[in-house]
Amino acid sequence: MVLGLAVLVWLVAPVALKTLARASFFEMTAPVVAASSYVNDLQKFWALRLHSKDELIEAGRDMARINAKYSLSVQQTGELQAEVERLQELLKMPAIEGYRFEHARVAQRDFSAWWQRMVIRKGADYAIPVGAPVVYSGGVVGRISEVHAYTSVVQLTTDPGLRIAAVVDGDTRPISYQGGDNQVFGSPKGLIEFVSLDVYASASVPKRLATSGLGGVYPPGLTIGRIVHVESSADGLFKAGEVELDPRLTELTEVTVLVREGAL
Amino acid sequence: MSAPSERSGSLVESKTGFDPRIIAFHGIVVLLLGVLTAGLAYQQLIKGAIHHEEERQQNERRVIVPGPRGNIFDRNGKVLVGNRPRFAVVLYLDELRPEFREEFIRVRNNYRKTSEGDMPTNAQLERIAHTSVVKRYMDQVNEFLGRSGTVDSSGLQRHLERQLLLPYTLVDDLKPEEFARLIEHLPVNSPLKVYTSNTRYYPYAGAAAHTLGYVGVNEGADDEEFPGEGLTTLKMKGSIGRDGIEKQFDSTLQGEAGYTILRVDPSGYKVNPPIEHRLPVQGKSLTTSLDIDLQQAAEDAIADQTGAAVALDVRTGEVLVMASLPGYDLNSFSPKLSQAAAADIEERKAWTNSALNGVYSPGSTFKLVVSMAALMGGAIRPEDTPADCEGFMMVGNRRFGCDNGLGHHGLLTLPEAISESCDIYFWTVGLRTGVGAIAAEARRFHLDRPTGIELPGETHRMLIPDPDWKQAKRSESWTPGDTANMSIGQGFVGETPLTMACFAASLARGEVWTKPTLIHEANRPEQHTEPIGLSESQREAILKGMEGCVTEGTGKLLTTLETLRVPGVRIAGKTGTAQIVRPQGKVDEAWFICFAPIENPEIALAVAVDGTVPGENFAGGRYALPVASAILKKYFEKKHAQVAAN
Repeated sequence: MVLGLAVLVWLVAPVALKTLARASFFEMTAPVVAASSYVNDLQKFWALRLHSKDELIEAGRDMARINAKYSLSVQQTGELQAEVERLQELLKMPAIEGYRFEHARVAQRDFSAWWQRMVIRKGADYAIPVGAPVVYSGGVVGRISEVHAYTSVVQLTTDPGLRIAAVVDGDTRPISYQGGDNQVFGSPKGLIEFVSLDVYASASVPKRLATSGLGGVYPPGLTIGRIVHVESSADGLFKAGEVELDPRLTELTEVTVLVREGAL
Repeated sequence: MSAPSERSGSLVESKTGFDPRIIAFHGIVVLLLGVLTAGLAYQQLIKGAIHHEEERQQNERRVIVPGPRGNIFDRNGKVLVGNRPRFAVVLYLDELRPEFREEFIRVRNNYRKTSEGDMPTNAQLERIAHTSVVKRYMDQVNEFLGRSGTVDSSGLQRHLERQLLLPYTLVDDLKPEEFARLIEHLPVNSPLKVYTSNTRYYPYAGAAAHTLGYVGVNEGADDEEFPGEGLTTLKMKGSIGRDGIEKQFDSTLQGEAGYTILRVDPSGYKVNPPIEHRLPVQGKSLTTSLDIDLQQAAEDAIADQTGAAVALDVRTGEVLVMASLPGYDLNSFSPKLSQAAAADIEERKAWTNSALNGVYSPGSTFKLVVSMAALMGGAIRPEDTPADCEGFMMVGNRRFGCDNGLGHHGLLTLPEAISESCDIYFWTVGLRTGVGAIAAEARRFHLDRPTGIELPGETHRMLIPDPDWKQAKRSESWTPGDTANMSIGQGFVGETPLTMACFAASLARGEVWTKPTLIHEANRPEQHTEPIGLSESQREAILKGMEGCVTEGTGKLLTTLETLRVPGVRIAGKTGTAQIVRPQGKVDEAWFICFAPIENPEIALAVAVDGTVPGENFAGGRYALPVASAILKKYFEKKHAQVAAN
């Protein structure tokens, strides 16, 4: 009886009230999510402390090598950046838009057949905007769909409600990528549409799918996944296919939000 | 005190008695129920099918979507005509019903609050609400795309009334960047969708425009081919071939339409997923005999002149080139030809396929027919020198000058006369042979009729005249002057570049007829028709004359000018320069026909280029020959490359 009344009240409640209630609920539960995430980090920290000194020294050595490699890359990037700026100046081209990188810890993962999203531990406090692209070392993670005071919700590339204007590696024609029908424990996948008929890919000869940069949300060249299957539609106009996504997407602990910051 | 049992007993008695009124009442009830049951049975069992059909017609709608047309390829598998996707951003209005309703209430309340005068009618309010909602979506699209599109209120209303289930287009033919922006910005479940259809795409723009033809809009597929007979049907517009191959092979290229049967509410809004659905299927593709590389070479060589060129595979009759200029960019027809583009084509007189429908006097190329008629009839032998060319000749009272040389050819044999294209020689031989034999020989080569190529509208105006024709058509007698004119391919003789190309191919095979075809078959058997019937020496004399034409005669530029030379190939050719009447006066028509290699002919062609300046010597050896050279060069270049690759 009480439950029925509550449902009835919720059904007839104005949209504004429902939105407010939902947001408040999220804000109220957010500290729990964040706290649980911090506890989890602490747990991992103590687990790591159990490693022997030899292991730490070895890891430190590996890290030093990687750092050296990255230092070189940073130096090269700096040189390339200077060259790009020189050419822009020379050709009187408009400057490329730049991004601020906000690295954020993943606080919660929420995977279901209807949506695929994760909560990160940065929100309005770091001026994260709705719609900002989220990336990791393997490519695109998704985009920010909700921003709260200290957390944000990321809609993942596996979510059926997310679309990206993509390109097949080596091609410039934009196609549509959309998250697939992903099961909770299944390997992540996506779907592509409007693929030109001269594009071929298969599981044995997959093709890289990357962001086109034409849609205005994602910068170009970020990996989305690997096309493992394409087939022609009955009307012969396009091909459609399946994209295999990086399994690491479901286990990410840290991501980077790209916040647009005007011209570089 | 009376016992209760007595009263009860009286009640029981009254219930169980046979009151006639009750019986009558029961009877009436039974009768009425019977009538009702009979009525229900009649409606359900007898008229059930009719009601079911009426209900279906009222609640179901059928949408028919045309299938994409098949592609057209050249003989090497290059796409000449394909389909390019056409992206549009559309609004599914049937998904907007709640929004329309909310907007209607909002607009009505606003009017009630602010309007002091007449309140709009409900129909007007609905119209305002519809436009307002669609405009909101249009603004959203404009914001994404940086456009400034507007909503046509009356068009929207028409769409709502007649085509509610079809998508309403907000922006058509999106650029790739716009498509990409919408993909990323439109929510997946928005009533705004990126809709894909297709339109014809021509990768080679104007190449072979007249031959390939173009398509126009038609009203879509025939309703009767689909299930759902009698349903209200909404058809999306399709395309139909209007000219060229597109028209000729329309039934092959035409795609198979798909359909959807939907359930709708009384207002026509879709209420459930489709009851039946079948996707459209692309039409069959067609492989033409054209070689696009040769075609482009021919068109580049004709350039901004008015002219036509046809090249055939001698062995099979497959058309390798069919060029006609001026032409038009076929992409301007896709998706729709604008009025400005149509006016431009009209002004440049570019609609006509001159290769198929341009009838010109064939000039000296016709001398080959005269030669064969004379040889076959015994009027001359190859080594005879029937005339001494002094630069002119009197036929009756008319003075005929020899235009094809420096004025004085002297005594010539047949090969020399063909090579030098001496008019005096052929007037003499023509008069000696007679119009009857010349006309008969030309008809044997099918020069008096259409070739029957698979293209619509081939002209029937090609003409091989004779005395009967002149009497019947002009009520005049045939004169020796007419025969003289005919002997050099002038006067009433009329041929198209296609008929002359067929003639060249027939001559190359030593036969009298070539049936041209535009369809490529990998293993098409060689054509064989009636042999010409020349002796070996007679045939050699003609070939010698034709080879002489391009080595030292009127077409010698083909071997002497480095830019025109086709290395390592022996070519048999014949130039022609005919006078044609144009609005600006008499101008020359430059002709060149040829085949190659002489020893084993593979390609035959005919080129005709219009002169533009009256009085200018627009010689075939100078203006038509370079076009033939370009085609031959490309043909043998490709052949040698293929041999080297193998």
